[in-house]
Amino acid sequence: MLTTAPRLRIRRPSPTTAEYTVTTLPPQTLPLRLLWLLLLFLRIFLSLVTLLVLYARWVQERSSFGAVPTTPFPPSSLPPLLSLDRMVLLLDAFQDTPSGKLLARIAASVTLPVLVPVAAAVFYALSLRVHKEESLLVLRGLGVQTSESPATYLASAATRFIPTEKIQDILVNEAFRGFEVRYYLVVVVEGEEDVVVVFPGLLPKRKIVETVWRGLRECLYEGRGEDSRVVASEK
Amino acid sequence: MHPFSTVTLGIFVAGYITARWDLVTRLYELVLFAAEYGVVLRAARGLVVLTIIFITIFVPVALLARGETRLRSFVMVEHDGLMRVFWPTDIRRSDRAGVVVGWRNSTLDVFVVTILEDVDAHNVEFHLKSGTFFRSGPHSPSRIYDLCGHSSMHVLGVANIASQTEVDPSWVCAKTSIHSQYPRIACAKASSVQLILYDRPHPKGMQYISLNPIALALGDKGSFPDDVTSGEDDSEEAKHAAANKENRRKLMEKLKQHSIIKRVPSARDKALPKIVNQVNWSWELEQVLQHNVGRLGPRPKRGLSVSERVVESATTMRNYVLVQLWTLLSVYLFPIVQQAFILVLFFHRVLAEILLIILEFRAKPGYAALKDISATAQQIEIRLQQFCYWPMQYVTLRQRKANWASVTTSHPDYIRFYNSLWLVANDVIIGMAVGSYIIEHKEWVADQIRDLLRVYTVEALQSGISWLMDWPAGLKLNGELAAFLGDLFLWVIDYWSSCIETLSPALPHIIWFVGFSSFAGASMPISMFSDLLSVLTMHIYSFYLASARIYHWQLTILRSLFHLFRGKKHNVLRNRIDSCDYDLDQLLVGTILFTLLFFLLPTVMVFYLNFAIGRMIIISMKAGFDTLLSCLNHFPLFALMLRLKDPSRLPGGIRFELRDTHDYKLSDANDKISNEPPTSIIYLKCIPLPFRAMFHQYFQLAQRIRKHYLSPRVLLCLVTGQFVPPINRKNLYSLQYSMLPAKRATMWEMWRAVNTEIEIPQKKPFQLPNIPQLQNGGKRPTGFGRARSYA
Repeated sequence: MLTTAPRLRIRRPSPTTAEYTVTTLPPQTLPLRLLWLLLLFLRIFLSLVTLLVLYARWVQERSSFGAVPTTPFPPSSLPPLLSLDRMVLLLDAFQDTPSGKLLARIAASVTLPVLVPVAAAVFYALSLRVHKEESLLVLRGLGVQTSESPATYLASAATRFIPTEKIQDILVNEAFRGFEVRYYLVVVVEGEEDVVVVFPGLLPKRKIVETVWRGLRECLYEGRGEDSRVVASEK
Repeated sequence: MHPFSTVTLGIFVAGYITARWDLVTRLYELVLFAAEYGVVLRAARGLVVLTIIFITIFVPVALLARGETRLRSFVMVEHDGLMRVFWPTDIRRSDRAGVVVGWRNSTLDVFVVTILEDVDAHNVEFHLKSGTFFRSGPHSPSRIYDLCGHSSMHVLGVANIASQTEVDPSWVCAKTSIHSQYPRIACAKASSVQLILYDRPHPKGMQYISLNPIALALGDKGSFPDDVTSGEDDSEEAKHAAANKENRRKLMEKLKQHSIIKRVPSARDKALPKIVNQVNWSWELEQVLQHNVGRLGPRPKRGLSVSERVVESATTMRNYVLVQLWTLLSVYLFPIVQQAFILVLFFHRVLAEILLIILEFRAKPGYAALKDISATAQQIEIRLQQFCYWPMQYVTLRQRKANWASVTTSHPDYIRFYNSLWLVANDVIIGMAVGSYIIEHKEWVADQIRDLLRVYTVEALQSGISWLMDWPAGLKLNGELAAFLGDLFLWVIDYWSSCIETLSPALPHIIWFVGFSSFAGASMPISMFSDLLSVLTMHIYSFYLASARIYHWQLTILRSLFHLFRGKKHNVLRNRIDSCDYDLDQLLVGTILFTLLFFLLPTVMVFYLNFAIGRMIIISMKAGFDTLLSCLNHFPLFALMLRLKDPSRLPGGIRFELRDTHDYKLSDANDKISNEPPTSIIYLKCIPLPFRAMFHQYFQLAQRIRKHYLSPRVLLCLVTGQFVPPINRKNLYSLQYSMLPAKRATMWEMWRAVNTEIEIPQKKPFQLPNIPQLQNGGKRPTGFGRARSYA
């Protein structure tokens, strides 16, 4: 529901520059936006819970070492809002509430070598992106650039820029994948062993690939004065 | 006309007519004559014919020609009408008119450096051609022109002008304002525009962009370790890899043949490397241009006032004193100090050379040198090599100062130099802490080491062997053979432990020495402990060798007897199994021997496994030490810090970002600029070097170790009792040597480099003492040159 089949989005402010984005993000509607918001809150809530469990465990470990001077602040001298001491105070106060005790019991019941990796895994899972986005930016006279959205929200997009000089050919190829035939767009780079597959993760349908291929060729090469000259000289 | 002159003219004409009355009458007769013979009619007819010709032929031709000229000026030069404009993001935004200056890479491919305000375009063009802007520059401008690929800078267009009528058609008309983020570009020849915004990298902060990731390792070593591998060991894997490579190459060739059209790259496509250089130069050029723009305008021709003269004299006096002090310092003191330093350095270099020769000495070409055997020797060698390389590196870095800051070729060198310096400093600091600890607690450390040695290398072995002698894990081994082997090993262990006992009084001294050596860096005690480990576990190594040899022999004999058992034999000449007719007694004896040996095999095998496991543990411990060493010697600390502090100092390529043109179009509609072509706004950004690339060498090393030790071949060796070849030390240490040149500079080269180093700074003399000369009675430009010299 949160994702759709890969669909194409084209931005083309001038005839010689275009960006083709294949994304699994569905068109924004009101229920969908609400769902997104809900998901966001869920993520924040779950990561907070994990953090609190970790903190409860930390408090237990600290007290097991013995050296804990827990000096509760007198209510008259509360540390200023948004300071580290205030945060610690709030956290400690939370430990005494029923939910805090529940979390503390959960934290105490799991051994440390299990707890820490599980918490790390939970954080990773919570930072995962729901939808994927892969794009191809075509700039006449400069080259093409592929980019993929990373798996998590923490990393930035991985891009690869190929100058026009290095582009040997651009073609649509077919390959077997499981029990189906997939068509994919390939940029052959001069002097490199591996070809560059455009939209490698999503591998959109043939129609999209063809559209992108036509647009790419038009954007890069069509209407260049020197092209006709080259073809003529080859003939 | 003046009335008086009109009157004069009238009087003159009237007088002339009265004086020459016969001429008037002659004219009158001529008119009558023409009217009689129809001249007037004929003239009128000719006029009509000529008018018709003019209207039907000449007027359309003129109209057509005018239309044609307008057409030609519209699509004249560029084929596709795409204009590419590189525009710096930090350019001054103002509404004032100005001249856009930069590089014109081709007609419609321009690179904007700056906008000079309130100057005349043609004047700027002239001065750019004649190089007025760079006349007082600190370095020669030829380097700029060389790297940016043009013989001079160009006037690209005008900014914020009122009318676009008298502008050259290939000029850019930019419109900037304080409010809008992006400039608006128009050009008569362009039908569409790519506006590429770029951030100027700051060359003084050593920022730059590049198409390829910065190389942290020294380039000339790249293929060196691989060649060694293919030459010496891993021959099967190397062959396999070579075959794989060949296959891929063939595939590439095939793919090349699939391309139908070979597109010749246009000038715009080829300009990219040049543009990268221009981006890198942009900041410095802008500074120079903006600084010297005052030279274009009329110079103030005012004499100096009294107070200015006083200031003038005072600065002259101050400069004079400074000059005297500086010359005193530079002529007498500085060279002496420098020479002394160089001599000390050179003396050290000679010592280092001698030590290096000792360390690298090989009795025969194939034999192991000292540095191949001992980790300590290796470590010393690395440090000495670094010491030999530093002066050369430093000289290269000094030369950087004698040029424009935008020359980016030496930046990787800079990172490498300071990385190795920093690592050595770190190493020494950690080493001091470790060393002082070890020296203070040498008794305790010695006791610990003695205990460890006793418990693990003697007692554990002894108990293990006696366990094996006594039917281990309920396994009924051959008691006699086990007793024989066990007694043999126990006896050697006894002898070894007595050796260690005699050594133990000297152990605190050894520890003290190790601790003392760690003042030269924490890597020294680590490598020494590594060496100590291999010396003190020599007996395990020899047990391993002996038991492996016995086990392997037995396996070989079993294999050939098995062939005999089947009535076959191994033909050595053909390297295959042939059938063979054995006699009965041969078969009988062979079978009996086979059975015997087969039943004895488990006994030998457990002993072999025992020592093999011990050996593997020691190897992995040494691998741990080596990893620690490589971290201390090679960790890209400086690069990591740079990556955190200023990512644009470690460029890893470029990327483009297409910006939304929505707000751009909106503001455009408000302003109603006519004939503006469709524009796409692109942002050029620098990708910082990914962390993966920084640790690329570590990954390579890990892969190499994995390939060597976790391959099925090694496992086979281990199972069959063949000797497991240790990984080539050169292979393992390729990481550490990747910071050093393949061939170190000779002493003579260093001497020359260090001595020429003195001359380079003197090319650029001390800037302060330019004694101003009061020429022309104080009529002097409000000198930008002088302002520079004070700066």
